[in-house]
Amino acid sequence: MAETFSKGEPAHWRSRWHAVTAVAVFTAALTGCGGSGGGGSEAASAEAPAATTAPSADPAAPAPAPASPSPTATAPVPAAQPTTQADAVRLADQASFGPTEALVATIKSKGPATWVAEQMALPATSRYRSGLGDDIHKWTSSEDFCSGKGNTCWRDWYSTEPLLWDFYRNALGQPDQLRQRVALALQEILVVSSVEVSGTYGFRKYHNDLLDLSFGNYRDVLRKVTLSPLMGDFLNNANNDRAAPNENYARELLQLFSIGTCELEADGSLKTGKCVPTYTNDTVRAYAFALTGWTYPAGGATSYGCYPSGANCRYYGGDMVKVDKYHDTEARTLLGGHTLASGHKADAALSTVLDSLMAHPNMAPFIGKQLIQHLVSSNPSKAYVGRVAAAFTAGKYKTFGTGRRGDLAATVAAVLLDEEARTATPAASAGKLRAPALMFTGVLRALNGQTDGDALSWQWGDPLRQHMFRAPSVFNYYSPDYPVPGTQLVGPTFGIHNANTALARLNFLTYLIDWGGSVAATSAASDRLGTSANLTAFTADATSAPALVDRFSLLVLGRPLPAASRAEVIKAVEAAGTSTTSRTKAAAYLVFASPQYHIQR
Amino acid sequence: MSHHHHHASPATAMNRREWLVRSSAGLAGALGTGHLANLMLASTASAQSTGYKALVCIFLYGGNDGLNTIVPTDAARHNQYKAVRGSLHLPLAKLLPLSGVSYGLHPALAGLSPAWADGKLAPVFNVGTLYKPLTKAEFRATPASSDLLPDNLFSHSDQQNLWENGTTNTLTRTGWGGRASVALNTANPVISVGGSARFGLSEAQSPLVLPETPGDVFGSYNLQPADLSYAPNAARKKAIDAMYAERQPLDLGNAFTAAQRNAFSVSDRLGALVKVKPGSDAAFAAIDAAFASLRKADGTLTTGMAKQLYQIAKMVFRRDTVQGSRQVFFAQMGGFDTHGNQLVTGAPTEGEHARLLKQLGDALGAFYAAMKAIGMSESVTAFTQSDFGRTFTPNNSTGTDHAWGNQHLVVGGAVKGGTTYGTYPDLTLGGPDDVGVDAWERQGRWIPTTSVDQYAATLLSWFGVNDTQLLGVLPNLKNFSSKKLGFV
Repeated sequence: MAETFSKGEPAHWRSRWHAVTAVAVFTAALTGCGGSGGGGSEAASAEAPAATTAPSADPAAPAPAPASPSPTATAPVPAAQPTTQADAVRLADQASFGPTEALVATIKSKGPATWVAEQMALPATSRYRSGLGDDIHKWTSSEDFCSGKGNTCWRDWYSTEPLLWDFYRNALGQPDQLRQRVALALQEILVVSSVEVSGTYGFRKYHNDLLDLSFGNYRDVLRKVTLSPLMGDFLNNANNDRAAPNENYARELLQLFSIGTCELEADGSLKTGKCVPTYTNDTVRAYAFALTGWTYPAGGATSYGCYPSGANCRYYGGDMVKVDKYHDTEARTLLGGHTLASGHKADAALSTVLDSLMAHPNMAPFIGKQLIQHLVSSNPSKAYVGRVAAAFTAGKYKTFGTGRRGDLAATVAAVLLDEEARTATPAASAGKLRAPALMFTGVLRALNGQTDGDALSWQWGDPLRQHMFRAPSVFNYYSPDYPVPGTQLVGPTFGIHNANTALARLNFLTYLIDWGGSVAATSAASDRLGTSANLTAFTADATSAPALVDRFSLLVLGRPLPAASRAEVIKAVEAAGTSTTSRTKAAAYLVFASPQYHIQR
Repeated sequence: MSHHHHHASPATAMNRREWLVRSSAGLAGALGTGHLANLMLASTASAQSTGYKALVCIFLYGGNDGLNTIVPTDAARHNQYKAVRGSLHLPLAKLLPLSGVSYGLHPALAGLSPAWADGKLAPVFNVGTLYKPLTKAEFRATPASSDLLPDNLFSHSDQQNLWENGTTNTLTRTGWGGRASVALNTANPVISVGGSARFGLSEAQSPLVLPETPGDVFGSYNLQPADLSYAPNAARKKAIDAMYAERQPLDLGNAFTAAQRNAFSVSDRLGALVKVKPGSDAAFAAIDAAFASLRKADGTLTTGMAKQLYQIAKMVFRRDTVQGSRQVFFAQMGGFDTHGNQLVTGAPTEGEHARLLKQLGDALGAFYAAMKAIGMSESVTAFTQSDFGRTFTPNNSTGTDHAWGNQHLVVGGAVKGGTTYGTYPDLTLGGPDDVGVDAWERQGRWIPTTSVDQYAATLLSWFGVNDTQLLGVLPNLKNFSSKKLGFV
């Protein structure tokens, strides 16, 4: 479900806030009418929040991930094995937000296995911190929360702009690059979008949880997402009621978050070569019933009480808690012979739901292949998918992982260290089109740039169809199977590449490199920096156009440009004049405009 | 080549081939349906009539609730509707009456009243993805994995794919808009102002995607023709062109460079036209006037659909610049997946669905008026599509869930409107049109009685696709005896 919104003109927060405040007031009004679960006819008296306790013990689940996850301390780091420039640059593209001269040198000397292991052992320093708090869900005045709070109220209390600022700052500067890349992949599979739901503190929690769990276990990720009150609002499982259950979350849990719609072999190919449905509508309804009976955690308040009776007010400051009276108790049959006996409770039902999905043979190839697509290549061979799926299933890849099915450290290591990810001679079907967000970070990092994220939001993120945290729907910015005409291949990011965005990519380069980007003074972000590149380090090579062009090529492509292109680019650099700045800009622009940059090998 | 998983049985195919050869339909027919070569050969025989025609596909992503879009107004059915829909029903007195038929529109679609009054609006009932006509007994007896049922009913992405690709197979890599454009050898691929939807894909080409917003710069900074008089810019453009002309070792690399080359050539041709916004060019005064209620003082249009349809209106007006006598357009809006809070309890004509329908109705009404104003009304036909309809019974979140057959709207000067087409479903829960039997599954998910193929074939036939080509563009059309529904 694509959204349409204006793009192109820089958005000022005043006008943007006025445009969206109608939505905010509207949403608040809906909540007032029992919008989150029915029961709108009850008297508007204040009700005590449901006296539910903290989530009941979930016997089959492991202990929840700690708030600051300790690194996988016992995993031995493989011995360093130096590698080539090309391989180091490629790993930087796959496992970080883009090469810098320093990072490439590091990876060259350590080699991929060592670098990946060290990344997994790093403390999780990237966090989402910006934006304001939970007051919006404790507001008991009948006036709109943002009344009188100025024109940045919506932005700071409800929107995901503050997260976008943190995302880009962290991407440029925080050392736990791989953790951030895995969290980015997870958030493009387990999508929550601020196009449809709001509450900055809720989004912070959701995305910090994904960062925490990136090297943990996928079952824990699914559990955390299923119990997320933010997700509960996005896909309607909060206050979902056995009397007439809403199917939205159950359906997308199966279709997008765990097993997909078609039965798969272990290598990701379709069983029998066509789509044999993994489940029917009956199954979706069974899962919908099984997932009823969860409400927001305690902590919220409104001027008219909490609805429906027994439920808590909307609040995003924790996992959802169970509400027995809304939980279906009928015997239900789930996938793979997993059943719920009559009289079951919500937490036990959730456990069985998760067990049934983790046990399903689809999950390993379905999730494994998407991780490959997000990190390495859009069209992995069946054998590659099979190896990654095996790592997911075994929970182990060489020295990585704990041996428990669904281990993400093992799976990610398998994705990055596989021969197909590291080969010096990729097949013609290899590669992927660099996603816009990763183009922004890639160019900025390579050019020693800085950003506070502001210009990468409405101004550039939106026109390139990847405005962080604002996917058009739960189906992300693009689908995993978008067909690329003229080939037999898929290219997810080709789903947002067309005549319009093709030119916008180049225009971003002009804006940043030729026109200096954005100055801090015009930025709306906190701790403003603007967005700019710093070409100083490269001007030393500017007197020799070949040396300059090669320096950029080796840094961001891993190798020189092909001979004919290289010759034309050198001519254009020389035609830029004698100014070192002009020549450096021309060289940078052209190398970043090259097909070799946009199609990562 | 594209995949075709629904071949007729060998005997049937042979009989058809023999029949075609005997009836001198020629080489094209003998190659069988669905083959790309068939489309190419057939197009040489196609009678592309003189004059200009455009089809405008408006996709409502998320699954529009057709049951609240157009509602029966006779007492018996309205009472039946009200009893099941409960707080989600639209009261009789609030509906926009459609003269001459027992139906009314959601009042938010007031923008379409003039089209109805002109006899140029045609509702089409219970349209959905089907392989062949399907009774309830057949549906219940057929396993979901069978080729006789569309892939993955009730799944957004799959049903969007099937509506856009015009088959019942989600693996199809092309869209019916793209295939029709190839069959007619149009000057441009499908032109989309709503993103890279699969509707516009053909085997060799992507849809031509233009900016949604009138006034946007559509061109490359420093590299447009006017910039090249400055030598450094010219040298850069030469280097860019050289890089994008070079053969790439990776298939995706060649797809990328093709897209880049195409972007430059298209922006040179259409950049100026895209830049026109309301009030900026007196030549477009008639279109501006039609969209007057949807623009602000500075010329910005107020909604996404208004912007998209304004862009399309300009391209119809300046069809000589766009080139070609047959053009398929694509526009879209999202947000129709109203699982919760579809409307305001106690004020059912307000709320989310009403807001969405108002955006659609106002913009489409303005577009219809614009086409009349520039004398192109009979040449342009707009039609809606959507993932699926929604359940007749509401859930407990004041919303509805995924269903199947849905109601759609066709608007344009060539439309034989003022009456309804297709068969309105029997509203009995668990009844002959409802997929469900057991108590827990009786939610009013209607088995379609008109297929996407028939809907599309009717539009394409008007557009100029001949009967042989239709069977290639829509491979399942052969399973339906009535191939054109007569609404245009």
